[in-house]
Amino acid sequence: MDYAPAKFHKSARELAEPGGAFAYTPEHQAKFDANVKCYPPDQRRSAILFALYLAQRQQGYVTAAAMRHVAEQIGCTPAEVEDVVSYYTMFFTKPVGTYVLNVCRTLSCALRGAERVTAALSAELGITPGETDPTGTFTLIEVECLGACDRAPVVMVNDDWHECLAPEDVRRLVEDLRTRGPAALTGCHLHKEKAAEATS
Amino acid sequence: METVTLTIDGQPITVAKGRTVLQAAIEAGVSVPYYCYHPGISIDGSCRVCVVKIEKMPKLQTSCSTLCADGMVVSTREPDVVDARAGVFEFLLANHPLDCPVCDKGGECPLQDFSYTFGPADSRMDFPRRVFDGEGVKADVDFGPTLMLNRNRCILCTRCVRFMKEIDDDAQIGIVDRGAGSEIATFQEQGVHSLLSGNLMDVCPVGAILTRDYRFKSRPWDNPTVVDTTCTLCSKGCNTSAWLKAKPEWAKGSRLIRMTPRYNPDVNGYWMCDIGRFNYHWVEGESRLRRPMTRNGDVLEPTAWHDLQPRLRDRLRQARGSSESAASSVQAPPVRFLVSAHASTEELFVLKQLVEGLMGSEGLNAVTLAWTTSDKAQPAGTKFKVSRTNAPNVNGARDLGYQVGAGNEGTPDLSALRSAIESGQTAAVYVLDPGPDGSLGDTSWLIAARQNGTLPLLIVQGAVMTDLASAADFVLAGSAFVEKDALYTNDQGRVQAASRAIAPPGEARDDWSILVALGQSLGLALAYESAIDVRRALAATMPDTPYASADLLVVTRPVAARNWLQASNPSERWKWDFLYQDLPPVKGHSVQMEGISPRAAYIPLKLTE
Repeated sequence: MDYAPAKFHKSARELAEPGGAFAYTPEHQAKFDANVKCYPPDQRRSAILFALYLAQRQQGYVTAAAMRHVAEQIGCTPAEVEDVVSYYTMFFTKPVGTYVLNVCRTLSCALRGAERVTAALSAELGITPGETDPTGTFTLIEVECLGACDRAPVVMVNDDWHECLAPEDVRRLVEDLRTRGPAALTGCHLHKEKAAEATS
Repeated sequence: METVTLTIDGQPITVAKGRTVLQAAIEAGVSVPYYCYHPGISIDGSCRVCVVKIEKMPKLQTSCSTLCADGMVVSTREPDVVDARAGVFEFLLANHPLDCPVCDKGGECPLQDFSYTFGPADSRMDFPRRVFDGEGVKADVDFGPTLMLNRNRCILCTRCVRFMKEIDDDAQIGIVDRGAGSEIATFQEQGVHSLLSGNLMDVCPVGAILTRDYRFKSRPWDNPTVVDTTCTLCSKGCNTSAWLKAKPEWAKGSRLIRMTPRYNPDVNGYWMCDIGRFNYHWVEGESRLRRPMTRNGDVLEPTAWHDLQPRLRDRLRQARGSSESAASSVQAPPVRFLVSAHASTEELFVLKQLVEGLMGSEGLNAVTLAWTTSDKAQPAGTKFKVSRTNAPNVNGARDLGYQVGAGNEGTPDLSALRSAIESGQTAAVYVLDPGPDGSLGDTSWLIAARQNGTLPLLIVQGAVMTDLASAADFVLAGSAFVEKDALYTNDQGRVQAASRAIAPPGEARDDWSILVALGQSLGLALAYESAIDVRRALAATMPDTPYASADLLVVTRPVAARNWLQASNPSERWKWDFLYQDLPPVKGHSVQMEGISPRAAYIPLKLTE
C-alpha cells in the first residue's frame, strides 16, 4: 500500500520543533557517559531524564533532532524519548527566553499573593503566562508547587528560587535580571547562606 | 509439571505454577474482564478491570498481575468486587465516545461486550467528554501506511505500545502527554512503519486502531462465515482465518473481506505479517483468470474446457513427437515444466505422476521449480520473523523428490531451463503457477523466447493474468490458495492444510484436476475424482512420513461465526482456539494435525539419506 500522508488526516498535536543537527558538546557527552554508568547496562533508559536535561541545557529546549540524538545515545527509540519529554512539564519543545520565570500557583504561594505576582510580571513584561517576550529574554509560566512553601510566594528563575517575592518587588527583579544577568539570581536563601558562610 | 490449586468462586482449579489468577480464571471458564492483558505480550496491569477479591489480601487485586498460589481463595462475584469493577468501567467510558454505531469494532469489541456484562447501566459524568475533534483537529488520525488511529476511542491499555516494543522490537508507539491529555502517538506523528502493523488492530481492544484495508468495509454481522486456513505467501505458513462477507452473488465487490491470524504456538503464535494480511485482493481482483483461453493470432480468446483440451493434447503430442525425431535425449526433454513453489503438494504429486508417466523415471528432470526470495525489513530482535522465501511449498516439492536445491532459504536455479529454451532445444513449456503475480520471479526471458519463436509452445496454468500468461498459447484458469483444499509444507517441515473458503471464479478449476485431465487426455491412467483421492494416493506412496496421514488431515470447513464474542472476535479468538476446542463453534477447526502425534508433525528436511 502506498503511503501518502498528505492524503490523510493529521493530528494537530503540538509537535516539537524539528531543529537542526544536534549532538552533545564534548563536555556534555562526558557528563552523559559518566551518568549512564550509574545504571545497569540493560537499564540505560533510566538515563533518559538526565540525557534530556543535558540537551535542554545545551540548546535551551529539546528539539526532535535532540530527541533522536538522545535515543541514539541511550539505545532506545525516539518515541520512547518523546514519551518522557511530553510527560514532564519542565522540558520545553519550543524556544523559551533566557530566563524562565516559573511562578508557583499552588496553595501556600496562592494564599500569599502568587496571583498578584503573576499579574505584576505580566504587566511588567507585557506577556501572559505561557508566552515569551519579543526580545526572547523572559518566559512566564505558572507551575505547581515548587517545594518552598515556607518562603512563599516563590518564583523559580531557571534553576534558582526567588523567594518571598512581593508583587511590588517584581519590577526590581526584572530590572536586575536585565542589567546584571545571571548574577541577579541571588533571591534563594541557599545563595545567601552560602555567601554568609564564605564571609564568616 | 508443578501445579498449584486455588479456588475461584468456590470452584477448585488446578493450574501450572506461574500462571496468573486471570489466566486460571480464563482456563476454568470463569468470566473476568480484561483489556491490557494479552497472552502474547507482557503483563501491564494498567486497565484495572480484572480486579478480584483474594482472601487475606487487604485490598482488591488485579488478577492479571497476581500469581496463583496454593490455597488461594479468589472471588469475582462478591458485591465489593462487582462495585469496584463497575466503577472502573464507568471511568473507562467517561471519555469514550460511544460511537459504536459507526465504529468498525462494534459487534466484536471487548469494551462493548464487557461493559454490557460488568459495567454500570449509565454514567454519572457531568462534564463534557474529552475529545480530540475540534478546530482543525481530527480525532481520527493517520497512523502509518496501513493503519488509522481514533484517539477518542482509545482507553490507553498500552497493548499496542507493548506489542511494538516486545514483538516487533521497534517501540514506535508511545503515550505522549500526561493525565487526561494522554494519547497514543508515534514520534513526530510519523506513523507506524512495520511489517507487523496489522496485528495492532487485533490487539486493540477498542476501535482505536483500525486497518485502512478493513475500515468501513464491513461489520461483524456482515461476515457470518470464517474459514480456518493457512497463509501461503511465504514459507512460514502462518495459520490464518479468512473472513467472508455475506452478499448476493450479483453484488459487486469481493467476498474475501479480511485475513486474521489464528493461534498456533509452534508456527506463528498470535500474529501474522502484513503481507499475508493485506495481500489477498488479487484472489478476487481484476486480473484474476476466470476461464481458459487459447491464442488466436495476436489475441487470447476465451474458450471452453472441452474445446481447449483436445487442442492442447494435439499440440503437446506434436511437440513431443517433433523433437523425438530430432534426436532428443533424456537431458533435453522436449516438453519442460516450470512450476511455482506456490503449487500445493497435491498438485506437485499429480504433476510428478504425469511427468513420470510421460517420460519415465527421469521425468522429474523436466520440471524446474521457481520461487522468489526477498529480505524483509524487520528489526533485528523481532519475535516474529517473516521468512525470506516467498512461496509456501518449497519443502513439499523437495519431499516429493523435485530438485529444489539445498535448504529452505535457497534460491531457484532456472539457468538450465533457460539455456535449454534459448538454445531452441525445447518444443514446449508448461507453466504451473497458482500464486499471485510475480511468484515466478523474472519471466521476461521466457516471454521473449516465446515471442521471438525460439519457444514454439507456451502453456500457462495459473490464477492471475500475468505478463507471462498473456504471451501464452494456452491459458488454463486455476485456483488460488483460498479456493482449494491443499497441503503445504512450511519451512519447519510441518505439513499444513489450506482450505477452500470460496469457490474458484467462473470456469476456473482446481489445479490438480486440470493436471489430471491433461494426463488422461495424453493416455495416462490418473483416476482421481477429488482432492482427498489425491491425498490418499499421496499417503499410500509415502509411508513413514507425515504425508502418510495426509488423508487424515482436517481440511477445515467454514465456521459459522454465530457467537461473535466466542468465535469471530479476532482479538479474542486465541482464547477459544486453544482452550475450548471441544466447544462449538470452533470444534475441530484448529486441529490441523488431528491423528498425528506432535513429533511426527515435524519431518526432516530430507526424507532419505
